[in-house]
Amino acid sequence: MKRLLLTSAFAMGLAAPAWAESCGDVTITQMDWASANVVTSVAKFLMEQGYGCDVTTVPSSTPTALTSVAETGTPDILTELWVNTAPAYADLVADGKLVELADVLSDGGIEGWWVPQYVVDAHPEAATLDGILANPGLVGRRFDNCPDGWGCRTVNDNMNRSIDMESKGIEVFNHGSGETLATAIASAYADQKPWFGFYWAPTAILGKYPMVLVDVGAHDAEQHTCNSSKDCAEPGVSAYPRAAVKTAATTDFQQREPAIAELMSNISFTNDQMNGVLAWMEDNNASAEEGAVYFLTNNKDQWSDWLNDDARAKLSTILN
Amino acid sequence: MTSYEKLFDRLGLRDWCDADAADSPMSMAQLLAQTNEGNAESSGTLPFPSLDALHEACNAFPQTRDMTISVEQGFLSIKDNLKFILDPLTQPLSWILEGALFTFMATPWWILIPLLVLATWLATRALSITVFVAAVFLFFGVIDHLDVALQTLSIIFVCTGFSVLLGVPIGIMMSRSDRMQQLMLPILDMLQTLPSFVYLIPLIFLFSVTEPKLYGIAIILYAIVPVIRLTDLGIRLVDKDVIEAADAFGMTDRQKLYGVQLPLALPNIMAGVNQTIMMSLAMVVIASLVSAPGLGVLVLRGIRNLELGVGLVAGFGIVLLAVVLDRCSKAALQRIDPTHKTD
Repeated sequence: MKRLLLTSAFAMGLAAPAWAESCGDVTITQMDWASANVVTSVAKFLMEQGYGCDVTTVPSSTPTALTSVAETGTPDILTELWVNTAPAYADLVADGKLVELADVLSDGGIEGWWVPQYVVDAHPEAATLDGILANPGLVGRRFDNCPDGWGCRTVNDNMNRSIDMESKGIEVFNHGSGETLATAIASAYADQKPWFGFYWAPTAILGKYPMVLVDVGAHDAEQHTCNSSKDCAEPGVSAYPRAAVKTAATTDFQQREPAIAELMSNISFTNDQMNGVLAWMEDNNASAEEGAVYFLTNNKDQWSDWLNDDARAKLSTILN
Repeated sequence: MTSYEKLFDRLGLRDWCDADAADSPMSMAQLLAQTNEGNAESSGTLPFPSLDALHEACNAFPQTRDMTISVEQGFLSIKDNLKFILDPLTQPLSWILEGALFTFMATPWWILIPLLVLATWLATRALSITVFVAAVFLFFGVIDHLDVALQTLSIIFVCTGFSVLLGVPIGIMMSRSDRMQQLMLPILDMLQTLPSFVYLIPLIFLFSVTEPKLYGIAIILYAIVPVIRLTDLGIRLVDKDVIEAADAFGMTDRQKLYGVQLPLALPNIMAGVNQTIMMSLAMVVIASLVSAPGLGVLVLRGIRNLELGVGLVAGFGIVLLAVVLDRCSKAALQRIDPTHKTD
């Protein structure tokens, strides 16, 4: 048995250099929403084909990935982290367990309160918070709030302390999970019923169901910081800032595979690009992997800049 | 891939295949093939003739995703009719859940807790269990978890009640007809294994997401299974000689059921009720994903924010409730168990 293990290890040792010159096993998160799946598929393709890595995708969500990194140091790469909904991220970076590599969505995500397009088409006043508060019937007298434990829940609750929707005839409904929040939008759309609540873009949901961001006023950085803490003394209304959407890697991994870390720090999409890919996926009923292929075949100039020379040479057949 | 293309060519079906060739999205496999052009082309492989593989060779075949899309569209098209039937039918569940939650929340603790402890005593007549229950409620109160624990408890009471109310008659029907049993067993298997979100998410299209019946249905569908199974089993296990004796006395079916079968099957039915209570507790966290209040919410918050302490305490709270309910139901059911009386 031992001998068998030895020989197979030897064989693998011989085989590996032929396949992977500089890169070994890489684990990367595959978050459970559409845009993250596209990012992961693109990164996986580039790492495997350009750098000869052996990539394993780890299906996860932000909190599970962060817990795993905190406790075990894997997965190596975490991408599409919406860090403002994950307070643990800042601690991990401060502790030196994670290194921030890039803003994977360079424009930042858009968070806020939305109403469906058809509601605004019929009643333009529903596009502002004042209009909604004056006429709560327009949005079905309900605000779909974030689940407990999400960063936006604290912010929404604090803003509501100063707005007091209940007194104006809007019931605040706290969802139990992101799934029901998304389904509530889809179900409202299926019946063309009003809807009003928190969501974020770019997402498959907002790609599929056009929504209008409700104008709640300007973004006030100080006010938003206060709103984000559970014991905010003076809550007030402030629009959400652009959400930072990051790629990060474990510190160990950055030291082990600097070339891959550099590649990951280059991978970045604008919102228009990502929305374009998501909309194309929706129109063609395509999977995230096919969305990645669509991006790769149509934006060769962009992603060839992300690669180093070796990788560009390896991928020359499709680049030219 | 090429093997199937050749097959269609040879069969002379190429024209039919390409008749309405819509451009389907390029797959990762195709891109990889393009990348490795010149490298070893693996043409000798024979993939399983799945819809996707056939579609690649011949566009006239639908892809697997077309099948899943049509399932979705089928559901959406019958949605309105389903809603018309199911919505009023399940409405009482919402009312009762809302009522129970309201009663448990509105009653002051100094009435509710003594009442619950008294109920424990009346049901179990066991001093040790009563003291234990009182201690558990005191513990919840001291660590400020009393409200959430009571919310969970009220949901469990309602859902277990419904499960027993529906489950025992279904179990009796199953025990009386082999055909009914054959029909029900696969359904029960499905209820126990089908991931709850698979049917919960479609339910949101039928009912408003704010309705408590969403999580009520999730809990009941999962927890009703043991009481049905064990009622059926219990009645079927009643000694044939006893039934023969009952027949000899000229008992009607109804007399036999109430006078002989149900009393003798009671230990099994009780085990089923006990398991039903335990399983509805197990669903508390899942139910919180569809907005059920209670300890499950705290468990989820603990998981999401990495507040391990919050999660562990809430999880331990669920365990405590489970132990309380288990001991109480076992002791109470034992008292009314006729086979247990020794004189």
